[in-house]
Amino acid sequence: MTTPPYTPSEPGITMVGVSFGFGDVTVLDDADFELARGDTAVVTGRNGSGKSTFLHLCAGLIGPQLGSVLLGGHRADAKHPSDLFRLGVRRGFVFQEGGLLSNVSALANVELPLLYHADALRLTPEEAKREAVAALERVHFDPSDFNSLPAHLSFGNRKRLALARALATRPTFFFFDDPDIGLDPSTANLIHEILCQHRDDPSVTMLVATNRELLIDRLGTKGYVLEDGKIQVRGADASHAGPSKA
Amino acid sequence: MNTRYTLPPRSPIAKNQDFLARLGGAALAATHETVSLFQTLLGALASPFAPGKAASAVCSRIATRQVFFTGFEALPLVSAIAAFVGATFVLQVQLLSGALNTEMVGKILVAVMLRELAPLVTAIVVAGRSGTAIATELGNMKVNDEILGLASMGIDPMRFIVMPRILACIVSVLVLTVYFGALAIATGYFVGTALGGVGVENMRAGFSNALLPWDLPLFVSKGLSLGVLVGWLCCHFGLKAEASPTEVPRRASYAVVMTLLACVATNALITLTFYWIVGPPVS
Repeated sequence: MTTPPYTPSEPGITMVGVSFGFGDVTVLDDADFELARGDTAVVTGRNGSGKSTFLHLCAGLIGPQLGSVLLGGHRADAKHPSDLFRLGVRRGFVFQEGGLLSNVSALANVELPLLYHADALRLTPEEAKREAVAALERVHFDPSDFNSLPAHLSFGNRKRLALARALATRPTFFFFDDPDIGLDPSTANLIHEILCQHRDDPSVTMLVATNRELLIDRLGTKGYVLEDGKIQVRGADASHAGPSKA
Repeated sequence: MNTRYTLPPRSPIAKNQDFLARLGGAALAATHETVSLFQTLLGALASPFAPGKAASAVCSRIATRQVFFTGFEALPLVSAIAAFVGATFVLQVQLLSGALNTEMVGKILVAVMLRELAPLVTAIVVAGRSGTAIATELGNMKVNDEILGLASMGIDPMRFIVMPRILACIVSVLVLTVYFGALAIATGYFVGTALGGVGVENMRAGFSNALLPWDLPLFVSKGLSLGVLVGWLCCHFGLKAEASPTEVPRRASYAVVMTLLACVATNALITLTFYWIVGPPVS
């Protein structure tokens, strides 16, 4: 399995005139946002400001009420989610909590996207299983838990599992929703390392929602604040304008 | 003076506007719900045509497993209900045998048991047993972000979740309806013979006379329609759960109630349409 070829001119995440809200609560009001292909950005904002919803919108998991969101130049909320995958837009999303299939084992959770897209990824079932095991090993997931249900895993292990599942298909667009919250230092450190690897990978566009200064500093990349329905550049100084990728 | 509970006087025009606004709101909500209901069905029916052979293989395995849960595992319950219904049905007819020609027993078996009870009772059993499970499972998946998780991996929830369940409900209701009808008639036949009150030969003759070639399409159309309804409505209302786990049982209960109502109404509608097209059955 290979990562789709990277072309520098390819568009990344483009959000134009997006409005979204729940009832009377406005999350985004005519908001614009752009992240070039291969770039990484951190989104901060107070609790309840809508960081998760913003990530869901950018990933096309929910559609905007007004405006449009493009991922790699294609509508993010495509009619069939697999359409984007076949167009080379592979999404990896690590949810704040949940998101794992509760009725199948840890290994099956990671294997599922590989089997579902086996023809697009040119994988045999055996290769899919090998890739799934490799993804789990990459996040140091205990092999004795491979056949455990997510409900039987600790919070930290569920987070590792979610990360492994997102990594399995080698995504070109990565979304992390509070990736290191509630984790012990070693698991948090592992996640930070993986985030930094992807930040330095020019084929990966990454958006991280967090309020953890440690992670923001470690990523040292562009920062945005979600406030009053608008997404704005974080701070006037260039302290978070990260290193440009090779 | 305490003015907290003092409301300004309302003019008749304002009252009318309130009523019209509520009426409009209700009409809009009903339209939105209907559109969303059909979007679920059409989305599910169209989903297998999206590209992806590997996805088709994965979803076929899920559908097969779902047929096992919905159809095969329901066999003991359907058997018990069919046997009891068949036996009590013939017993009741035997009580009326003074007033009825025994050949009528066979005819009533075809008219009531095969044409009406078998599809309806089977759909009710599948809705009560598997429909509840489907709505609860999907509601929990929605609340736990599992549906979003699938979409984030490029997996179409309509194809992966909804379509296999609709397909399994169609196959299960259709096959279980045939099984229910056969077992209920066999039990009725056995009880009738054992009690000796119903002339077996007459019953068989009445049965053969009442059974028409049109019964096959009626039987199949009822099995298909009720199967689609059980799978479709339970998936749709299950997926309506939004944020809270406490919402899931409420949605599941609503899903099953709506499914039962829809099944009873559809069963009656198909019967009426059938007799409107082919005319009354030959006596």
